[in-house]
Amino acid sequence: MPARPSLKRVPRATFLGRAIAGNLGALIVGVKYFIDPNRITLLYPHEYIKLRQGYRGYIVLIFDKCISCASCARICPARAMKMVTMEVKDKKLNRAMKKKYPVINYNRCIFCGYCVDVCPTEALYHVPYHDLVYLNMQDMILNVEEFQKEPEFVTAKEGVPVTYVFDEKRGLVKVSVEESSNQGSSSQPAGGGGSS
Amino acid sequence: MSAQDSSSGVPHLPGMEVRPVERNVYEVQIGPAHPGSGHMRIIVELDGDVMVRVDPDIGFVHRTMEKLAEGRDWIKNIPLFERMAILDACNITLPYVEAVEKLLDIEPPERAKYLRTLLCEINRIASHLYGMGIFGVFLGHSTLYMWAFGDREVFVQLAEDLTGARLTHSYPVFGGVRRDMPDDFPENARKAVRYMRNRLNEYAKIFLNNPNIRKRLEGVGVISKTRAAELGIAGPNARASGIKYDVRLVEPYEAYPELDFEIPVFEEGDSLARAWMRVEEIRQSLNIIEQAVDWLEKHPREGFMHDKFWKAAPKLYKDVYEGNIPYAGKYRVKLMPLFATLKVPAGKAAARVEAGRGEMFYYVESDGKDVPYRVRVVSPSFRNVIAFKYVMPGHRLMDLPTIYGSFDYFPPEWDR
Ligand code: SF4
Ligand code: SF4
Repeated sequence: MPARPSLKRVPRATFLGRAIAGNLGALIVGVKYFIDPNRITLLYPHEYIKLRQGYRGYIVLIFDKCISCASCARICPARAMKMVTMEVKDKKLNRAMKKKYPVINYNRCIFCGYCVDVCPTEALYHVPYHDLVYLNMQDMILNVEEFQKEPEFVTAKEGVPVTYVFDEKRGLVKVSVEESSNQGSSSQPAGGGGSS
Repeated sequence: MSAQDSSSGVPHLPGMEVRPVERNVYEVQIGPAHPGSGHMRIIVELDGDVMVRVDPDIGFVHRTMEKLAEGRDWIKNIPLFERMAILDACNITLPYVEAVEKLLDIEPPERAKYLRTLLCEINRIASHLYGMGIFGVFLGHSTLYMWAFGDREVFVQLAEDLTGARLTHSYPVFGGVRRDMPDDFPENARKAVRYMRNRLNEYAKIFLNNPNIRKRLEGVGVISKTRAAELGIAGPNARASGIKYDVRLVEPYEAYPELDFEIPVFEEGDSLARAWMRVEEIRQSLNIIEQAVDWLEKHPREGFMHDKFWKAAPKLYKDVYEGNIPYAGKYRVKLMPLFATLKVPAGKAAARVEAGRGEMFYYVESDGKDVPYRVRVVSPSFRNVIAFKYVMPGHRLMDLPTIYGSFDYFPPEWDR
């Protein structure tokens, strides 16, 4: 069934309709939300959103899985990921050799997730948070050691985790994470599916 | 070029026009960085408070998208073009992906088409709500602003669940998409759709049928059907003037031929019709989302990437997709390393889609290398901005934000 055009009309406003239905309708809706507002504002950093597993947040390298193929650095559209040469001990050959490993510059990264998606060995992954602060720009350029650590999620130490659930009546409703896991965790498997 | 002197003794710089103004006519510059003009400047000549001449000076936001694209690998251009209008990310990048697919001579599988359509419609709603919110600010109706941006959050959240990013999804890639929908997505999408349907009635009550607002919109900025066609106005603005033109209608793409929906058309052509237009379009988008979600739920989770790329996928890729690797997330489609060095056969291709603000057109030319030879973009806002020059004169200055807002003009989009 292809799309079909349909002629619509702007509702006509008569004088009576204008004075009564127009003004009154607007007023009633206004009063309704005055009495029963739906506030979705996040009181950051006292509260923070617990994001789901699939979120494209900061990136971490699993050193042992990396095969130095450089696909991640090649595909990076922002040139945020670069390969650096390191001297490592090869376990199989049992001798020191030079290999390339990726490092990241968060000054440039746009969190497109291409590097993670293209890595053939799944040596990169996203952590499900993104609200980090660096004291200076130099700190945003990670070396291989730093790249292997999950960044410290300071907000999580101080704030209360909340999540937003969909609701037919109110759109999005902010609930604490415990509440949401009680409500509908059955259909949400760990990773990808669940917000908890 | 050297600066010449105009007759009034004012230096005349290239690209800048200096004219003596008549007596009693004042030149007012609205913007740049004025709440009522976005990133652009509108040079208005006023007689009293009636605009006699309006000259939109579109300025710069982030130039050279097209030129930058010529130096980047094919796939890297997807996140680049997305930046033209990040609030409509899927619609903006889709024609590029489609054009490159034509060159590669591949067609995405059915499921990928539905997933793309789904995100396009989510983006369209988010984009219309953004436009309505800004329109509210222009009119001093801050309730509409708060509401539209709050409700937009519902659809941004849906898009985030689907793609992992709130705005810059980079979702369609050559041959398919980057994720499948999460398990709880259909349920959430249906809730969001039902919520928004009811909510639109309240929008009508508090905004569109509100006598104060109607007074400011009705009969303001009327653009007739012939005029709209003459100027080449695109998208909802053209349809609000009675032009039955929509890419989804004349050249259906992705999953649209299989879906049942209407293209609303209004005949009034004034600001009120353009505002209603967006409400009606959101209604239709909600229908499409429902149908797409139904289809996706009924059909097995397979075929989200063209076989050419997915055939040779190692087992690990399938494990990631099925969520067998705990840290990797679920339903993620891995990209082949081949994507990073993709060479596209020489040729020319063009593609267009109906984005939130109108027709989005790409012309792509390849000479067989790993970067495009030429990419040309025609964006809807670029086509709509000319209307200001012809529609605004004759109105009062306070009608400028009304008309500007009703056109849902988005400066970064034209600037490519
Ligand atoms: S997420 Fe994107 S921009 Fe950031 S390092 Fe990876 S590929 Fe580069
Ligand atoms: S794509 Fe993966 S395996 Fe290859 S260099 Fe990057 S992190 Fe290592």
